[in-house]
Amino acid sequence: MILRVKFNKKNYLKYIGHLDLLRLFQRTFNRAEIPVKYSEGFNPHPKFSIANPLSLGIESEEEYMDIDLVEKINTEDFIKRMNHILPKDIQILDAIYPDDEKSISAKLSWALYEIRFDIEKDLSLDEVKSILENWLNSGEIMISRLRKKGKRKVMKEEDIRPLIQMIQVKEKADNEVTIESVMRVGDGGNLRPFDFVDALGNNIELGMDVDSASLIRKALYIENGERLDKPI
Amino acid sequence: MINKKKLDKILNKVEKPARYIGMEQNSVIKDLNNVKVKFAFCFPDVYEVGMSHLGLHILYNLINNEKDYACERVFSPWVDMEELMRKENIPLYTLENKEEVKNFDFLGFTLQYEMSYTNILNVLDLSGIPFLSKDRTDEDPLIIAGGPCAYNPEPIADMIDIIVLGEGEEVTLELLDKYKEYKENGWDKETFLRDIASIKGIYIPKFYQIKYKEDGTIDEMIPLVDEAPRVIEKRMVRDLDTMYSPETMIVPYIETIHDRVVLEIFRGCTHGCRFCQAGMLYRPIREKSTSRLMELAEKLVQSTGYEDVSLSSLSTCDYSQLQLLVSSLMGEFGDRNVGVSLPSLRLDSFSIDILKEIEKVRKSGLTFAPEAGSQRLRDVINKGVNEEDLVNAVTYAFNEGWSRIKLYFMIGLPTETDEDVLGIKELSYLVKDLFFDRPKEERRGNFSVTASASCFVPKPFTPFQWVKQESIDEFRRKAYLVKDNIRDNKVTFNYHDAELSYVEAIFARGDRKLSKVLINAWEKGARFDGWSEHFSFDLWLEAFEDMGIDGEFYALRQRNMDEVFPWDFIDIGVSKKYLYKEYQKAIAGELTNDCRLKCTGCGIQDCAMRGVFN
Ligand code: SF4
Repeated sequence: MILRVKFNKKNYLKYIGHLDLLRLFQRTFNRAEIPVKYSEGFNPHPKFSIANPLSLGIESEEEYMDIDLVEKINTEDFIKRMNHILPKDIQILDAIYPDDEKSISAKLSWALYEIRFDIEKDLSLDEVKSILENWLNSGEIMISRLRKKGKRKVMKEEDIRPLIQMIQVKEKADNEVTIESVMRVGDGGNLRPFDFVDALGNNIELGMDVDSASLIRKALYIENGERLDKPI
Repeated sequence: MINKKKLDKILNKVEKPARYIGMEQNSVIKDLNNVKVKFAFCFPDVYEVGMSHLGLHILYNLINNEKDYACERVFSPWVDMEELMRKENIPLYTLENKEEVKNFDFLGFTLQYEMSYTNILNVLDLSGIPFLSKDRTDEDPLIIAGGPCAYNPEPIADMIDIIVLGEGEEVTLELLDKYKEYKENGWDKETFLRDIASIKGIYIPKFYQIKYKEDGTIDEMIPLVDEAPRVIEKRMVRDLDTMYSPETMIVPYIETIHDRVVLEIFRGCTHGCRFCQAGMLYRPIREKSTSRLMELAEKLVQSTGYEDVSLSSLSTCDYSQLQLLVSSLMGEFGDRNVGVSLPSLRLDSFSIDILKEIEKVRKSGLTFAPEAGSQRLRDVINKGVNEEDLVNAVTYAFNEGWSRIKLYFMIGLPTETDEDVLGIKELSYLVKDLFFDRPKEERRGNFSVTASASCFVPKPFTPFQWVKQESIDEFRRKAYLVKDNIRDNKVTFNYHDAELSYVEAIFARGDRKLSKVLINAWEKGARFDGWSEHFSFDLWLEAFEDMGIDGEFYALRQRNMDEVFPWDFIDIGVSKKYLYKEYQKAIAGELTNDCRLKCTGCGIQDCAMRGVFN
């Protein structure tokens, strides 16, 4: 019995890594007495998985996980029991029993991020908008990053433009700019948001202070033809 | 509160930022404006190490249980974090409210090992607090310290205002109550310190002056005020069942050394190993009852969600009701996916039946500590185990499916000869033969035996407090003697850094003259000296040289019977006379029995054990 769960991860708890988050949930299931299925074998572990793990240092308003349960439980009750034990900055927002078999990680393909950063130059909101528009329309956006090749690590050039669906400038207050961007996640192509930030940092016209960037994942989407839908 | 935006900026750049954020389950965040006493508790090492320390969980919950008091945690920032904090001018803060350490009433250090002393200085510096008590004002927090190294606090006596000797469960609250009283009725630091100087177990270093002899040893320790007693008795809780015991533990997000419920089952140890300081300091044995332990275990498992309960004490198998306790725990938690584990198994009381019961114990590695390679030397240190014990235990372990054995030894023990040292090799080979002499079809797993040798450091309040430490050259020669004689890829030999042990030995038996060396070494960049990757011997040698202090005087000098030691003013219950008698018996290779069988007259006045066990 798969229970699909939506949760968030805020404030300082963005510094909790993926494995630590798994351990937090495992202990919380124990304390909340959630009947999670355990794997067979010498070292049994509870069966649940978090879709598309967040990078360390990024907040999220909507994360998802699938939990394999021994028996169906009331979702309201589940949310109440879990949230009572979970820290206030990681809370369950919703839970459903999905009608199809496909796992949540396999379904997700886009993510919406909000990115705030300082700029060093004195630019107007419209100037920022047109710089970003030009950046997106300039063809390729190349980044280079270390990739594992067998045992060695090699620098690899990569065009990330196809992984970016859109960028929208939301706000500019003093020298702080807020943008939103929809990027690819999952097996069909994955853009790591910090790679996006680094690439944007290379844009000389914008003059971005890369260290000042703070990111929030606002949503994760399933692609449905032309439409992007939320899983829950 | 410190600047959150600045903090956010640096947290994105450090390794394991979760070390610096707090917010863990069961941590306590109070409104600091609504409490009367703010206590910052510091374990002067990195977060994961500090959070694995049981004492922290006890004290933290003890203080926070009181409505008027708040206890918040501080750890040493790792070197990457320190660098960024200094660059961005972020002062050291507590994990709970992210409040500057400087704004607390108390800053308490737990002294677990001598090599953390430079970290204490670093914590003070990062907090903006002057090193020396005499330079601090009424505005600065009171610096208080306790823990095993407090039993010779003299090397850091100039930096600490209040030292607590012995168990803190009772005295901590007495102290905070007094402080609250003073705060409410007019604060004066001097009067307060004088007042608490007469509380049992409290030592105020600045109320004493040390007179030295010409040869550098101590002539006399002179109390400067009437309230300061000549002899300070350690504090000890008599009844562990009625004593405060935490029913919850903070659960770290990141992995620590013990990610499990730690259940303290008793205090003290009666084996009387002559190298062991804890064995003398924490006498006599006091146990928690099985029913109390079951009650605590239930609450701890429920409040943490941990899947492991670990029984903790100096030698777990000595617990008088171990069989009952383990089967009760297994009965209660067995089908709740919660396992039970026993750390620190002693080969002399290795209990087969109990191990059998613990099904979740990993079958991979098992540790034994014969401590010395030959029977002769084991008699000298009064480690009451023989080869037969080892053979029995290891054979049993192989039968049950274990295949990796670890053996712990010390080198540089008093009276040690090359033959004794080579005994380390002999025992390791014996273990190997026991495995391979078994019929092939009964050998399970991938066999290995690892022998580790640490360099012996003579400690205060042990029968070996008089002896000189082995020189670094001798340590090395002996280690290589073993290493060069082991030619078998199933047998591994490791040994610890002799230079680090030398510096440790200096501070373990040091006096107040050493404080300037500490400050000098810190200025030269010493941090995390217990971590071999950060320890720089050359730096320490320079610091001793620059301050005109001869390290060998402390580490390598054999003491006379009647020498006055820097720690002699502390009364741990066990008498100096008894320790000296034990020292002489050691040299003669005579054994002393476990005092649960028969009291050996260690000097403890109203020992609760007499009549219980013997
Ligand atoms: S007084 Fe006797 S029984 Fe008590 S700890 Fe000392 S030796 Fe053991």
